[in-house]
Formats: sequence, structure tokens, C-alpha cells
Amino acid sequence: VSGDRIAHVRRLLEAARRVAARRDALVPAIVESTGLSPEGVALALDHHLEVDATDHEIAALVRAAGSAPRVAVVLSANVFVGALRAIALARAASDEVVVRPSRRDPAFARALVLEAGDPSIVLDEALDVARCEGGEIHVYGRDQTIDEVAARARPGVVVRGHGAGMGIAWISSRAELAAAAAGLASDVVVFDQRGCLSPRIALVEGDAPRALAFAHALHDELERRDVEIPRGQLPAGERGVAARYVATMTYAGTVLVGRDHAIGVACTVAPLVLPPPYRHVHVAPCGSRDAARAALEPLAASVTTVGSDDLDGARALAPSRARAARLGAMQRPPLDGPVDLRTR
Amino acid sequence: VDRLARSTALHARARAFASAFERGGPPPEGFDALAADLARYQAAHVEGYARLCRARGVDPERLTRAQDAPPVPTDAFKLTRVSAFEEHEATAVFRTSGTTLGARGTHAMRDVSTYDAGAVAFGRAWLARDLEVRVPVVVIGPSPAAAPDSSLVHMCHAFVRAFGQEAGDASTYVVEGDVIDLSAFDERVTVALAKSEPMLVLGTSFGFVHFLDALGDATFALPRGSRVMQTGGFKGKSREIAPEVLRREIARVFAIDPRAVVSEYGMTELSSQFYEKTLFEPAAEHGTFAEPPWARVVPVDPESLAPVPDGEVGIAKIVDLMNVDSAAFVLTQDRVRRVEGGFELLGRAVGAPPRGCSIAIDELLGRSDA
Repeated sequence: VSGDRIAHVRRLLEAARRVAARRDALVPAIVESTGLSPEGVALALDHHLEVDATDHEIAALVRAAGSAPRVAVVLSANVFVGALRAIALARAASDEVVVRPSRRDPAFARALVLEAGDPSIVLDEALDVARCEGGEIHVYGRDQTIDEVAARARPGVVVRGHGAGMGIAWISSRAELAAAAAGLASDVVVFDQRGCLSPRIALVEGDAPRALAFAHALHDELERRDVEIPRGQLPAGERGVAARYVATMTYAGTVLVGRDHAIGVACTVAPLVLPPPYRHVHVAPCGSRDAARAALEPLAASVTTVGSDDLDGARALAPSRARAARLGAMQRPPLDGPVDLRTR
Repeated sequence: VDRLARSTALHARARAFASAFERGGPPPEGFDALAADLARYQAAHVEGYARLCRARGVDPERLTRAQDAPPVPTDAFKLTRVSAFEEHEATAVFRTSGTTLGARGTHAMRDVSTYDAGAVAFGRAWLARDLEVRVPVVVIGPSPAAAPDSSLVHMCHAFVRAFGQEAGDASTYVVEGDVIDLSAFDERVTVALAKSEPMLVLGTSFGFVHFLDALGDATFALPRGSRVMQTGGFKGKSREIAPEVLRREIARVFAIDPRAVVSEYGMTELSSQFYEKTLFEPAAEHGTFAEPPWARVVPVDPESLAPVPDGEVGIAKIVDLMNVDSAAFVLTQDRVRRVEGGFELLGRAVGAPPRGCSIAIDELLGRSDA
């Protein structure tokens, strides 16, 4: 692995650290663009900006990045700190990087590139992917966006898409429910559950009463977090979706509604329901890991990470190319490559 | 016994709406009166509905207006039984088409005659009111034996029995598996042309797309006075075509007036259907659907569920008095707008458009309509 490339990435991380340290000027813009609360932005900057990567992890990232004559990075909104990993990957791959920040959420990416002062990384907020010649385009966002970029890219340009995804939590039979709930609540609260690693479904090994007990423990934890880290603004379109999920689960099971969250508790694992983001968790009992795997099968292509109190269990349950993590660390994957291992 | 007696009486009251409509008479009672009684019955015998009422702060015993009854989201049909009776009492079980998550909604019925009465009465009004004799009816779809859990096939079968000539399943339902039997269709058309009998052709949008694709450049001029009912979306089962383009193509291939291509809007979770009025009302426009006197489509705010002002877009809350033993108040995911003469269907509701790298619930859940 090239020492130069590790050094380039390391310098980018240092720039990110400086940007985070001078956050006062930046936070209002990020609050405005992301819809996160100021506390939510601070949480992301303090605990989910990946500035403490080890050399070993960065070496892995450089290996994963490969090599390209030039890389254009098309960023998405929602997980604003994700710009760091995206640009780091591009910089690890190439000495010629162009970054197009998300139009909705440009503040952090803009600040990072300017702070880095790396002549190999330039901002181009009007970048037209159809004009990129050779090299790679790394596009982050909805699958539809990736498809559109791929369709517009010139022949010979490699498009690497980092698309939509979600996390799943597996609460094993050995889990201490309160501790598991605390870990999962941490994973849910960050980015208001809008990240591609954000857990949306928790499968609880055991019977319905155990799932309900876990849901109550999670509800208590989220109540506490809702006060510490209030949810940001719920967009108008999402309010209806959230209300619909709550009504559905009221009819079909149990719902625990908190200040800034809701937990739907199903009586059975199948069929699974995908709750909306913005702190909605679907909890279901599950007889065994095999039953969980079967229930998750229709979602497997969308699962980016499985979090659990039982890391071996998470690994066994995770679809191929999904990460496994401990509860509480689902949103803090090592900086060892793309956050989403399904990258196409 | 009390439950059964209550259900039977409610079915009779619901069917009375259809009978009165067929006779051209006024509704037998107020819409709100039956709606409120249905809400009380369903809250008494469906635990989920009782919970929903409590959560919304609604006391069913005090209900007097349909608009105050909380609606059941169509998703609930995928997750649990939406039913006021025991499983073994079901005489028909309809299922929605599958979704990406594999869940299919289920709508069980204890007395399917109520569904049939409403479907035939309103279907006749907008598809067949001018027909004095039975006509050849062809369904671009599978037979009831091949698709016993499809409410749409059941409805088509009811139309075949109500409006159609005796022909046998093979000559009536011209889709078997993935194959469209064009020769069977051709035979029906040839005979109908020889007898100058107008035909009624029923099918789904994706069925018609496959039919058009199978035809290639060929046409099937139907006898004068023929009409087509098309329904449903594409559900990934065929290439998608804009409604007006599909209508134009159907009209061209069958050599009929585009106004004789009538769209129906319905879903497995309902017992009632809605139709465009273009076949019989010269001023009617495509895209505007009429409701029967026993069903109302109310655009509501997706969060508060309060009706939106006339002319504004909301999510369709459908009050269906024929849904006696399931959910008379259903919250769909379809966007609608009240217009003169009915409502417009504006596609499916989505969450906030940009979701960054977070997965869109709509992409995963798919449509529930069948």
C-alpha cells in the first residue's frame, strides 16, 4: 500500500478534525440543510466523524479504493459526515479528485475540501457527470440517482454506486435487554436514522413477551435520548408516513410512541414491516437465527449492516457484503473502505 | 350468535343500497347511519379496530358521521387478519399481489354476496347499462379456477355471470399462465361480429400491454358498441405505458371510441369499485372516477386524517359500506382530489422525495392493490 496515499488520507482526516473543532460557524448551516437538531449535528461531529482511524484501517481503505486516473465524487445528503469517507476513498484512489457536494447539504463537504487545501481535490458544484472523461465516478444516493449517473456517464468511465440501504438489529437470547436497548438507541438516534447503516428493524430472539419487554426497554432509552438529542425537523411528507406506520401497528400489534420516536411491536416475525426513518423501529420476536435469516431474505439486498449483542450471531445473520457490528457501534464502522460493502 | 346476527343484518342493509341503486331509487337510509353502525360493529368484534379507535380518541358508540371513524391502513391487511369473524367462517379469501417484502394482504369475506351485489350494480351502471341482452364478455386474465384468491378475477367472473353469454371458461378467460390465447379471443370476436353483438372486454393494464405486445401490428376490430374495462397498475409485470397512451392503443387495436375504454379503480382491501363515466356521459372526462352511493372517497391529510378542502390533494380515505366484516374505513396510499362529478386519482403517495442513502419505504413495500 502506497505510503503517500495513506498520508493523503491522513491529512484529510486532520482537516476534518479542524473543521469539526471550528464548528460554530458551520453548525447552523448543517442544521438548516440536514434538518437535524443542533444536538444531532454535534453528536455526528463528535462521535461519527471518522477522524481517529488507525493506520491499519487506512491501509485497508487504500487497498479497497484501488487506483484511478481521476475520480469524480457525487455526494448525497442526510449523512453529512459521510463526505469524509467518500472523499478519502476518492483521494486514496487518485491524485485527481473532483467533488460535487449535495445541493441540499453542501456545507460540510465544502468546508472539508477547503480546509484540506489539497490541490488534488477540487470542488465543482456544477459538475456534469456526462463530461467526466475516463476514470471513475463515485455516486452516493438513491438507486435511481446511481442509475441516472450510470446512464449519463461516458463509455469507459467506471461508475461506483453507493446506494440505499438499512441496518438490522439482532437481539440474541443471551442479550441483557436494557444494555441491548441502550446500544440500539444510540444507533437509531444518530442522523435521525437516515443513514444507510441506520437500524430500522430489531429481531428479538425469543417469544412475543420478550420482544415486548425489549421494546419497552428501547422505548425508555429513546425517551431519554429524545431529550438529550432531539429529533430534527420531520419533513411534511414523512409525517404522514410516520402516522401511517403508527396506525398500522396500532391495529396489527402494539405501538410505543414517544416524544420523537415510535416503536412498533409485531406479534410474529413475518411478514416484516419496514418502518419509516426518523426514529421508528419495528420490533419482532423471532424463534431462531434461521427464522431471522428467512424473514430477512426479501430485504437481504438492502441490508448493509447487522448489529447485535452477539457479534458472531450478527456475522452469521448478515447477508454477504453486509457489515456486522456490536449494538451501539452500527453507525461507527472502521474507516476501512466504503461504508456500504455492497458498492457496485 | 349475536355477532352473526349483527353481521347478517348489516349485510342486508349494505345490499339494500345496491338494490335501491339498481332500481333507480334513493338510498334506503343515511350513509352515515350505516357507516356508524359498521364502525361500532367492527370495534366490538375486531380488537385491532378497537385499539385504533382508542388511539385516535374515538368512541364508536358516540359516532354519528363516517368522517369521524378512524381508517385502517391497507398495510394492516398484510400483517394481521382484518376480520370480525372466525377464520373457518370465510367463504372467500382474496389476496393482494406480492410486494418486495413478500407480504400479501388478505381480505376474507364471510358473505361474498354483498360484494357481488355492489360490484354488479355499479359495474352495470358504468359498463353495461345500455345492454338489453347478454353480450359476449371476454376477460384478458386468468379464470377464477386459476386465480381463486384474486378479487379482480372474482369481480370479472361476477360480470361474466351478470352480463355475459354462456361461453365456458376457455372462451371467456383468455390468459393461462403467461400465455394469451389469441385464437380464443379471435373466435369470440368473429362470432360477435357475425351477430353484430357488442362485446365487453375486461382486463388489467398489464394484461392489455401483454395483449398489445402479442398482437404486434395486428388489430382486432370489435363489433360496434363494444367497450373495454381496464384496471390496475403495472406492478412490474409489464412495461409501463402512460394511461392515455394505453387507452389510445386499446381503442386503436379494437377500433372503438377511446371513450369506450373505461378505467376502474379498486383494490383487494375494498368491496366497492369506482369507474370513469366516459361511456355514458358525454361531458365526463377520463381520469375522473364516480363513487357508488355506498362508498365515499375522501382526500385526507396523511397526518391528521382530516379531510382536505375540495380541490386539494389528499390521501384517499375510503368509506366502503360493503366492507361489512372487515374494515369499512380504509386508508389507502393513493393520492386523490375531489373534482366535479367524482375524484381524480393522482398516483401513489410517497414520503419526502429525497432520502439520501436511506432506503425509501415505498421502494420496498410496493403497492398493495391487486
